[in-house]
Amino acid sequence: MTISRRHLGTLTAAAGLGLAAPALRAQTREVVFAMASPLSGPWARLGELSVLGARFAVDEINNTGGIRTLGGAQVRLATVDVGDSPEKAKTAAERLLSQEPQLVGGAGAYVSSFTLAVTEVTERARVPWLTLSYSDLITNRGFRYVYQTSPTADEQAAGALPTIIELARAATGRAPQTMGIVMDNTASPVSFTRGLRAGGAERLGIRIVVDETFTPPLSDAGPVMQRVRAARPDILLLLPTAIPDIKLTLEKINEIGLGRGRLPIINNGGPMGSPDLLRLLGPNLLEGAMFITATWGLKGQEELIARFREKTGEPWMTQDSISNYGHMMILREAVERAGTTDREKVNDTIRALDLTEGPAANAYPGRRVKFDERGRRVGAPLVIAQWQNGVPVTIFPTESAMAQPNWPRR
Amino acid sequence: MARLLPPRTLALILGFCLAWLALGFIVPNRYYQLLLTLVPIWAVLGVSWNLFSGYSGLVSFGHAAFFGLGAYAVTLMLVKFGLTPWFGIPLAALLGAVAGLAIGGPTFRLRGIYFALAMLAYPLMLTYLFDWMGLQEVSIPLQREHAAWFMQFQDPRAYLAIALGLLALSLVVCAAVENSRFGMSLLAIKQNELAAEAAGVDTRAWKLRAIALSGAIAAAAGGLYAMVLLVVTPGSVFGLVVSAEAVILPMFGGAGTLWGPVIGAVILVPLAETLRAEFGQFLPGIHGVLYGLAIILVILLAPEGLYWKIRDMRTPRKAAPAATPTVTALMPAAASRQPAPHGALLEVSGLGKNFGGVAAVQDVSFTVPHGEILGIIGPNGAGKTTLFNMLNGIVPPSAGELRFEGRSLAGLRPNAICRLGIGRTFQVARAFERMTILENVLVGAFVSHRTDADARGAARRALAQVGLVDRATAISGDLTMRDLRLMELARALAGGPRLVLLDEPLAGLGAGETDELIAVVRRLPEAGITVVIIEHTMQAMVGLVDRFVVLDQGRLLAEGTPAEVTRKPEVIEAYLGRKWALSHAGG
Repeated sequence: MTISRRHLGTLTAAAGLGLAAPALRAQTREVVFAMASPLSGPWARLGELSVLGARFAVDEINNTGGIRTLGGAQVRLATVDVGDSPEKAKTAAERLLSQEPQLVGGAGAYVSSFTLAVTEVTERARVPWLTLSYSDLITNRGFRYVYQTSPTADEQAAGALPTIIELARAATGRAPQTMGIVMDNTASPVSFTRGLRAGGAERLGIRIVVDETFTPPLSDAGPVMQRVRAARPDILLLLPTAIPDIKLTLEKINEIGLGRGRLPIINNGGPMGSPDLLRLLGPNLLEGAMFITATWGLKGQEELIARFREKTGEPWMTQDSISNYGHMMILREAVERAGTTDREKVNDTIRALDLTEGPAANAYPGRRVKFDERGRRVGAPLVIAQWQNGVPVTIFPTESAMAQPNWPRR
Repeated sequence: MARLLPPRTLALILGFCLAWLALGFIVPNRYYQLLLTLVPIWAVLGVSWNLFSGYSGLVSFGHAAFFGLGAYAVTLMLVKFGLTPWFGIPLAALLGAVAGLAIGGPTFRLRGIYFALAMLAYPLMLTYLFDWMGLQEVSIPLQREHAAWFMQFQDPRAYLAIALGLLALSLVVCAAVENSRFGMSLLAIKQNELAAEAAGVDTRAWKLRAIALSGAIAAAAGGLYAMVLLVVTPGSVFGLVVSAEAVILPMFGGAGTLWGPVIGAVILVPLAETLRAEFGQFLPGIHGVLYGLAIILVILLAPEGLYWKIRDMRTPRKAAPAATPTVTALMPAAASRQPAPHGALLEVSGLGKNFGGVAAVQDVSFTVPHGEILGIIGPNGAGKTTLFNMLNGIVPPSAGELRFEGRSLAGLRPNAICRLGIGRTFQVARAFERMTILENVLVGAFVSHRTDADARGAARRALAQVGLVDRATAISGDLTMRDLRLMELARALAGGPRLVLLDEPLAGLGAGETDELIAVVRRLPEAGITVVIIEHTMQAMVGLVDRFVVLDQGRLLAEGTPAEVTRKPEVIEAYLGRKWALSHAGG
């Protein structure tokens, strides 16, 4: 049903163009990009934000003349739901390729294991694929058609503390000496902190003075936070992953008088800056909390973000929206430069890209789109954002910051 | 094994798999080919669950444990040691079998819902374990060289063929089990575990074998699943959804039937995906709701699964043929029996049993000589059934000793005692309700016959002994009380016991029926079978037994021939009360 309607649309568009401008070059046609993301299941909201970003980019492309080297060809975005498991992700990818034989390239699928499953399909079909997923495995498999625009998980774990130190220096003029860790024992914080405990913090001159790991859900954050108060670290890595635990720990921090930025608190991952978290926790609780992420609203994107807000009604652009906005822009740039929808040539073009300006480059911190031989974006720095007056704003890197960090000086 | 398999079943299995493979060449693209491949993989998991839970009735909510172990085993052996999945999958199956034994060992102590809940815990535990080990995501590397050796194919139909091969294999195994004493024993366990145990079925051993075999098949399915998806995460292979799928597919199609899981997978797996593809586009997540509704609808309309529904629609279940008088059909006992040697067959000395502070049986001693019919009588609550339960090992004694043919019975489980030559029937008849009379008796015959053919012969002889030959194919759930009692007796006799314990075999029978049963029991000593009967009605027994043992409040009150016992004042008092005894003492 969907197919036939889509075909009908294509035919109508083609007929319309044919009638209106018979002189146009013969290659004028539709260019298909794909966005694969979880639209059902626990990650549905993040998948929705991804689609919003991608669709926003595609509309922008079409409104500014389409793909110029293809005679202004319009881009059509094919979205597909990868559900809540690698099996569904793989089936969705196969379905996408079957239904869209003209597919030029795509992006997705948010959760690392879904991205791994999807790219097993796209790689074999030789479809260029961009992703914001962090797992190092994605670009460790020797694949030739997969590109990662975020720093990988390992790079993030290694780069987080130096980035925080740099931020502290920039804000206060001196580096922190002590650190606390409060986390749950789920996969992401465990792998994030492994290196810090194994000498990583010490090498950077930071002592871990309090280190608490709990099994979620936390029933009472009191004892844990009392130990934090007693140790009084210069910074606190607060890494619960479940929202109720984030809430409990932040409440307790406010209760013992270390909230609202008095103790620098840093979480990890884009979901810490989602509009939904604001709705659940309220601006007071979140005030001052910071988080590390692969990309966030950067200086120079103010106008873009304003247009996005107006169009979608979302209060700001999250990592999911911005990254996938950028992915579509990268695909557009590649098709534009290749002057063809041939996947092999588009892929070669992506591999050779080195953009430092334009919408694609501006979407990412570091403002550069160039991929190394494994498909990782070169020089992708980490971003730190902070909740200020109910909005998470980028405070680091300084050249991309939208606001001054709210960091205690003492 | 192949001999056990009806050729028609084998042909059906092969036919189905070939037809499904042919579909792989008809469908237009890789998407449908992947979908076609996922169906047999999930069907294999369903077959594995069915082999264990469907037949034995022990519901497992934790089959993801085996599936996931298989998936991780194949993946890790490939990633860490470069071992090809062609060896990895069989090794994973072996691991699954070991896991089955390791899980079954402790968990079979639990029954019913407690067993099901405990099974739920294993995959949950494994999820955390694999997370903790840092195996949140393992991906199978792309092999550009020797791809086929590493089970990596460009053409998805290769995976389809492998999956169908695995499905055919597991169906053949399942069919072979179904048609042997293995399956019959599991069905007996499902319907009445205690009766199965008393009929000589080593329930624990069969359950362990079943879960090991089931674990092996599930692990193989998991291993192949990993090769098809190329990504393994704890959530995707140990997750609740996997365990649920293992239960839902066979239940939907028909649990305890060969084709149930296949029917379930063929319908539900594509249905879920089609709903996602067609409706998920417009309203993400709606497919989950529709899928749930579809399952609820079918379960409501066909609670036993589609297989039975379709069968019942094609051939309505017939009512059992009316009972025919069979007293005349009584056969002489088997001639092969040795004449009864003299001396004690069973010696009971100082036997006692306490339940907490209550002494149900205290210091009971008696002997049963070869060839005797001994009646144990006593008012309700005298401890007769407890005594019986000790005699055949259901309840361990607190004190005293039991010897059968000079051998101590201490510490033996009911099936072991049955093996020694003691059969029993129950006060409340314990039939395997969905089996025929012949099958019920056959379960009892397995204990002493090595081949299934011998067992079948013994079962028929036992049916002849009690006069039920012409009712052999009736379903035991439809039987009258008389036939049930006779069938239970035949089940006890089929194992070739030298002693049978009959627990109130006359309860619930009319006068004429009582006579029929007594006539059968009376012939048993001629066949070399010693009999101990419990009854609380003395009337019918007086003409049958050689000797009485009278129990009252757990103690041995009197012992002797019917004539002696019925004259003893203490017996009269126990039965009719002190007042009656006193007032009639003079007369």
